[in-house]
Amino acid sequence: MEVEAIVLLLLSGLVLMILLILRGKKGPAPSVRQLPAFQKMPREMEYAAESGTAVHIALGSRSLYEDDALVSLAGLQVLTSLADAAVSFSAPPIVTVGDPTLLPLAQDMLRRAYERHNRLEAYNPANVRFIAPTPLAYAAGAAQTIATGGVTANFIAGAFESEVSLIANSGIRRDLPQLSAVTTPAAAGALYPVSDHLAVGEELYAAAAQITGERRYLLSLVAQDVIRVVLVSAIAGVALFSILTG
Amino acid sequence: MSKLVRQWIPFIIFLPASIIVLLGYLMPVPGLLYLRDKLVEWATIVAAFALLLGTFNIIHVHVGQIRRRSRGWFSSFVLLLTLLIGMIPPLLPEGTSLRSDLNRAVLDYVLRPVGAALAALIFFTLALAAFRLLRTRHTVASVLFLLVVILVLAGSVPLEGMEQLTLWRAAIIHVPAMAGARGLLLGVALGTVIAALRLIIGGERPYSEP
Repeated sequence: MEVEAIVLLLLSGLVLMILLILRGKKGPAPSVRQLPAFQKMPREMEYAAESGTAVHIALGSRSLYEDDALVSLAGLQVLTSLADAAVSFSAPPIVTVGDPTLLPLAQDMLRRAYERHNRLEAYNPANVRFIAPTPLAYAAGAAQTIATGGVTANFIAGAFESEVSLIANSGIRRDLPQLSAVTTPAAAGALYPVSDHLAVGEELYAAAAQITGERRYLLSLVAQDVIRVVLVSAIAGVALFSILTG
Repeated sequence: MSKLVRQWIPFIIFLPASIIVLLGYLMPVPGLLYLRDKLVEWATIVAAFALLLGTFNIIHVHVGQIRRRSRGWFSSFVLLLTLLIGMIPPLLPEGTSLRSDLNRAVLDYVLRPVGAALAALIFFTLALAAFRLLRTRHTVASVLFLLVVILVLAGSVPLEGMEQLTLWRAAIIHVPAMAGARGLLLGVALGTVIAALRLIIGGERPYSEP
């Protein structure tokens, strides 16, 4: 077994332990850091419902069987968290995906929300749209959807690179509020100037906790924060040790 | 029965599959490797069917837009027409020169130029975004962001007498930018591990009913 594997197993064990300890604790939900990018999403959804329009959610163009699968899943979690609000406000989002493996999952998540609210007859699978299988073509297609789809807010959450600026630019031209959550430096750099609120890196994984406020998600977020402090301390410790020992 | 099918059977399939694939990467034992590769192969086959689903989705969405004469319906029409034309070369007999010529023509005269044009467009959208930042957000962070962008861009140009800019550019890229990118990647990796663990222990089940 390689060193990376051992480190990964140790890290996984530590995460599991913290998750289980936190889960066993009774009492109020833990308080976590606030991320405006996610907290404003339900409000924008409400505005869209009031104006009889929809919001656009871009989920990126990475598949579920590649390296960025979990980033795409985190993007889907944003959709899941917003789906209930969308159905209750009668403001179905227009979801665009750039990989066909995301399509059935996104459709299913939206359908489940309608089912939970006993409004399955109102569910329209065409609200989830596969645009194109390459990142650039996807970004161009999603930009066209924003330009012609009559949307009033633009949410970007998932695996993107700098091509995301095409999507964001379409939002700017229509003066839409833009809330984004991305993991790569290229996408963060492209979105920073044009997003009203931007969540970067691991903050994408905090989406469900921030939007729904459910205890299970909040516990994951706390576990993530604890491990991060441990890791940062370890890195700083090793760096300091290396400096001191020459 | 319904609960069993909708909740538990997906989980029963998911759990051993995910553990086998994960262990296959951690412990490269021949038996595990064989199983891991088989499962990944099946995933690829399923993904190929997903592409078919995606194509039907494109047709469904855009035919609807043309029928309703929605805004941008003409783009939908062009897209469907292109889709139909794109289907012609693969339907021609394999090995014929017409098939390979058409394939190459689509690649050389449509896909590559359009891809290059879009990639070039990114530069302008980024520049536009930076300009907008200058107009709309007057914060220290925005000013710093723009200064760094200008410095890095100017440092990329081999200007005579401005060699110092190249050194500054290198310093920015190799120290603060690299540290930031590594911090970002570390955070993402951590989030990924936690998300994966939540999936494996069944805390999150995107593949089945809750």
